[in-house]
Amino acid sequence: MTEQKQIDPITLTVIWNTMLSIADELGTTLRHTAFSEGVREGDDFSTALFNSDALMVAQGNFSPGHLGAMPTCVKHALNYFPAESLKPGDSILLNDSFLGSGHFPDTFQIMPVFIETRLVGFVACSAHQVDMGGAAPGSQKVHGVTESFQEGLRLLPVRLVRGGDIEEDIMRIILGNVRMPDKVRGDLLAQHAANLTAAERLQALFRDYGIDTVEAAYELILNRSEQAMREALSKVPAGIYSFEDYLDDYGPGTQPIKMAVDITFSGDGDVELDFSRSSDAVPAAINSYINYTKAYALFAIKVFCNATQPQTEGAMRPITIKAREGSFFNPKFPAPSGGRAILQIRIFDTINGAMAKALPQKAMGAFSHWSNPNIGGIDDRTSKPFVMYDLSLAGYGGRYGEDGPEALTPVMNCTNIPVEVHETHNPIRIKCLELLPDTGGAGQWRGGCGLKKEIEILNSTATLSHLADRHKFQPYGVFGGQPGTLAGTYLLRKNEKKSLASKGVEELRKGDILSFLLSGAGGYGPAELRKKEAIEKDIEDGYVTLQGAKKDYNWTP
Amino acid sequence: MIRVAFDIGGTFTDFVLEDDIKNFAYFLKVPSTPYDPGAAVLNGLEKLLGEARLENTSVNTLLHATTIATNAILERKGAATGLITTQGFRDILIIGRQKRYETYDLHINKPKPLIQRRHITEVVERTDFNGSISNPLDMTSVDKAIEKMVSSNLEAIAVSLIHSYANPKNEQLIRDRISEKAPNLSVSISSEISPKFREYERTNTTAANAYVKPIVGRYISALETALAEQDFENDLFVMQSSGGLVSAKIARDYPIRIIESGPAAGVLMGGIVGKNIGERHVITFDMGGTTAKLGAVDGGIPAITPTFEVGHIRYKKGSGLPINVPAVELLEIGAGGGSIAKIEFGMIAIGPESAGADPGPICYGKGGTQPTITDANVVLGYISGDWFNAGEMQLNIKAARSGILENIAKPLGLTLEQAAWGIHMVATNNMENALRIVSVERGRDPRAYAMVAFGGAGPLHASRLARGIGIPKVVIPAGAGVGSAIGLLEAEPRIDVSTTHVLKVSPEVSSTIRSIFNSLEQRANEDIQRLAVAGVTKWSRYAYMRYVGQGFEVLVNLPSGTIDEKYTNAIINAFNSAYSKKHKFLDKDAIVEVVDWSLVATIQEERTKNSIYNSLLSGQSREKTVRQVWFPEVDGFVETTIIDRRSLSAKDIVMGPAVIEDPDSTTLILPGDKVTIHEQGHLVIEVTQKELAKN
Repeated sequence: MTEQKQIDPITLTVIWNTMLSIADELGTTLRHTAFSEGVREGDDFSTALFNSDALMVAQGNFSPGHLGAMPTCVKHALNYFPAESLKPGDSILLNDSFLGSGHFPDTFQIMPVFIETRLVGFVACSAHQVDMGGAAPGSQKVHGVTESFQEGLRLLPVRLVRGGDIEEDIMRIILGNVRMPDKVRGDLLAQHAANLTAAERLQALFRDYGIDTVEAAYELILNRSEQAMREALSKVPAGIYSFEDYLDDYGPGTQPIKMAVDITFSGDGDVELDFSRSSDAVPAAINSYINYTKAYALFAIKVFCNATQPQTEGAMRPITIKAREGSFFNPKFPAPSGGRAILQIRIFDTINGAMAKALPQKAMGAFSHWSNPNIGGIDDRTSKPFVMYDLSLAGYGGRYGEDGPEALTPVMNCTNIPVEVHETHNPIRIKCLELLPDTGGAGQWRGGCGLKKEIEILNSTATLSHLADRHKFQPYGVFGGQPGTLAGTYLLRKNEKKSLASKGVEELRKGDILSFLLSGAGGYGPAELRKKEAIEKDIEDGYVTLQGAKKDYNWTP
Repeated sequence: MIRVAFDIGGTFTDFVLEDDIKNFAYFLKVPSTPYDPGAAVLNGLEKLLGEARLENTSVNTLLHATTIATNAILERKGAATGLITTQGFRDILIIGRQKRYETYDLHINKPKPLIQRRHITEVVERTDFNGSISNPLDMTSVDKAIEKMVSSNLEAIAVSLIHSYANPKNEQLIRDRISEKAPNLSVSISSEISPKFREYERTNTTAANAYVKPIVGRYISALETALAEQDFENDLFVMQSSGGLVSAKIARDYPIRIIESGPAAGVLMGGIVGKNIGERHVITFDMGGTTAKLGAVDGGIPAITPTFEVGHIRYKKGSGLPINVPAVELLEIGAGGGSIAKIEFGMIAIGPESAGADPGPICYGKGGTQPTITDANVVLGYISGDWFNAGEMQLNIKAARSGILENIAKPLGLTLEQAAWGIHMVATNNMENALRIVSVERGRDPRAYAMVAFGGAGPLHASRLARGIGIPKVVIPAGAGVGSAIGLLEAEPRIDVSTTHVLKVSPEVSSTIRSIFNSLEQRANEDIQRLAVAGVTKWSRYAYMRYVGQGFEVLVNLPSGTIDEKYTNAIINAFNSAYSKKHKFLDKDAIVEVVDWSLVATIQEERTKNSIYNSLLSGQSREKTVRQVWFPEVDGFVETTIIDRRSLSAKDIVMGPAVIEDPDSTTLILPGDKVTIHEQGHLVIEVTQKELAKN
């Protein structure tokens, strides 16, 4: 470390703003060139800049799912490639679940940045690839996957780019093991190109201000963001706050999974989140590697403590996130984890339940749970495979002073896929996509409604891999608010209606209709306190029926 | 030919009168009259024609830019509107695309839809993605829907059915039924308003059109009546967001096309100025009191985006309502003269909060207590305290100094000048980061562009911004104060039509492409007839293209000429050049597809185009003075020449450091930079580049 150099606040401001702009530009470039639906529609990628000691000094504001993994990815890479072995034009690739973000589809690329021969830092980005091989398209199959080896290609850090040239041998190994190799290649190259652009800008920043000044700015940024986080955390009343809730199961006929958290605020700027009381890891691909647990725990802390300053390694120093080794939230390799995305809402819900006791006005009723089915097969029209990757998202829980919004993305932040886009690309017809009245948990501030989506299969055969939850445990209400209704998934075949599990596989045929009913979200505060006008407006707009209003609010015209 | 252009803004209504035979122009600014926008127009026209000593009857054409449609949406003051949609899809508008515009705020709300859920009714029908109708329209359900709309006392109806862009038949049947059963209802159907796929964006665009149609209709009719009463020829044209003009009639039918009327005219003005000085690539930089807007003109053509948002919150993408009609590409950020400076994490942060015009910056002396960019500029000597707004407002420099000292300098341990400079610098840096998005990120090399800067604060920040990003030339146009109105004079009548037809490009599909463009041409011709202007129609073809499997398309300018098997090759070449320009990357093995097709018809009118600036530089000018102005590029405060712009004449040269003052803006000339006064009155600044400036 260079000796601490004096740096004025204006230079510091400009350097920090420029760093954030670099991290953002890296992301927008990636989003616009990506083939992966996850990247472009779901913002399922992240970007960051690091100093030469591998400390993260800026992170782009993209998927919260990588808040946990990004800060440590450079350190992991350096364990395999010591800094002195790196040369200008090199780039390291990894996707290991433990080193990365908890499942194989997220590939991280880490590029050292040099000024002449001096290493001045790193740029890195991750992107959710369309496929990494394994048991099912998309590499996120849950049911029947009992160890990581079934989930596809695992990459411990490898030097994908050497001296500016792609290592075609490594590329060939990767492309030989994935479905849709063209798209994977395109996205790996897009990641590399995006890193190159960011590296160039970072070099320009070092040249404009000098290495010593930028390094001094890094030091200040790390310290300031730590200080800002401590200030935010110290505003939470000291105490231990606990909560527990259950996931339906990890496949048909399996047991519920306990999700428990104990949060300790010291009162002087430290917090510890401990998930150790949760269930053990399960033999299905929804385990949450510690980096993934950390990601959504950090997300929740940022939300509750208004700690919205740019993310750096410094900001994480006061936060400890842990879970018993071997537990559901800190499994050991080769625990499978491809479908861990289904947990993000529930990690937040669990923390929210605990934080309600500390910060009642910031808490909310539990979210409606999303549904994330994959419907795939061979398209009769083209004889080529199709995969309809879908996400349905419904309401928020009631909030202090306000109803939960209808149909807004919870926790992770993505867009839905339009009906017309799905139907253009896949042999299916969507029969309806509509809010379900009387499903939002009643309360002084009502929970958002659940949602119904029905999909008709137009192909001779297809397979559903389902990923959803809240089929058994209702989204809770807070402070006397009622829970939202349960979710349900049904197969309508001719005149029969079959109930499906929230996580499972189902063979389908032409004419089948899949009916996905999403849970309602939890209410906030007792229903008796709901204003009469709010009930009347809900009836007029059809969010609550007359019968529902009578039952939930004892309302009469 | 005498043409008058007027642009109604929130504060001022700007006018330009152009006589292309006598070759002169008059400019005028009058206060806007928001309660009755037409009043300012009539008042201004009277003054303007009086000055020019012309009769009302001698005016051939009136050109108009207006914010009436935008304001109706922003303030949610449109008509009571209903929506008819396909059974099963009542909630398309309520659901939207679902993304939060702030990832870490779970207490935000979605933009309020323009139509309440109670006024959304389904009809039984289903059209599929390929245009085939899998379930025919049930007229009983249509009649029920109409009855419901009528009994709810609605004034306007939007009709948006699933996949109607692929086959408009059912929407047309519903429209015809409404005009039969309820002729007073104003109807907008999505297959006419925005026939493109992605149901939320199309439905919202149609809903917005329906929502503002009655208001815009009444407004334009009232304006036309008032103008007719004053003996003006009834030849009124309205600016569209795309930078082209349409007749009043088309503006009434498709008011959604005139949302960004004023800003579009501003970008066009940038294009004209570029043309004047021989620059085909221009970045426009318009910085006013609350925001800065960046636009681009590439190769003489204003950059257009197929979709934009109205009603942003804190300038965040995704926080507004998406509108799927072409508009000039603009990036708006919360950095204007009134943007407030504060301290965050021991650093200076600017905006997006603004002191606006009331109370305004501290130096206005109207009760503002938080330091703004303008206050910093006053402290640094960039803005004169006693000649602000041509001397109409006396600025309180002392208050600005103490505001910055107390709020910024002391807490950060800086001197007053360092703090003021910090505010100026950080604001410039924020704009530079936004400018990177407009330039580098979108494939525009700053070194090939000139920056045209206008708005009250634009000319003050432009040179440092240009230097920061490597733009070699900055132009401060003559008449910058009425910039948008000038842009109207350049606009041509223009019709944009587009459609979605996802098609992989190969020689076999050339006949499909031919029929797509034939039907687009037919649609455009219907509108051209309603435009009723004489002139030659020029056609331009565009496509929004991508590699199969991607989710974002690039705009590709397609060649003209016969569409045969060879044409598809030309399409791929055009895509390759557009894609590699934007992303610096080509995938030769990937298949290329077109998503949206669009055709633009511009009507080239027969009129002589003269420079309208020749008569501008008049008025009593003031003597040169000097004052202390902060130039850290040399040595902090420097005794600097202050020049009244009106004292300058063509070919004069001014070397920086200098300050050139206009009645409504101030131009800062940096040390080492050279200004040449263009024959049309523009200040053309050669900006010394960063590396050189340092030495």
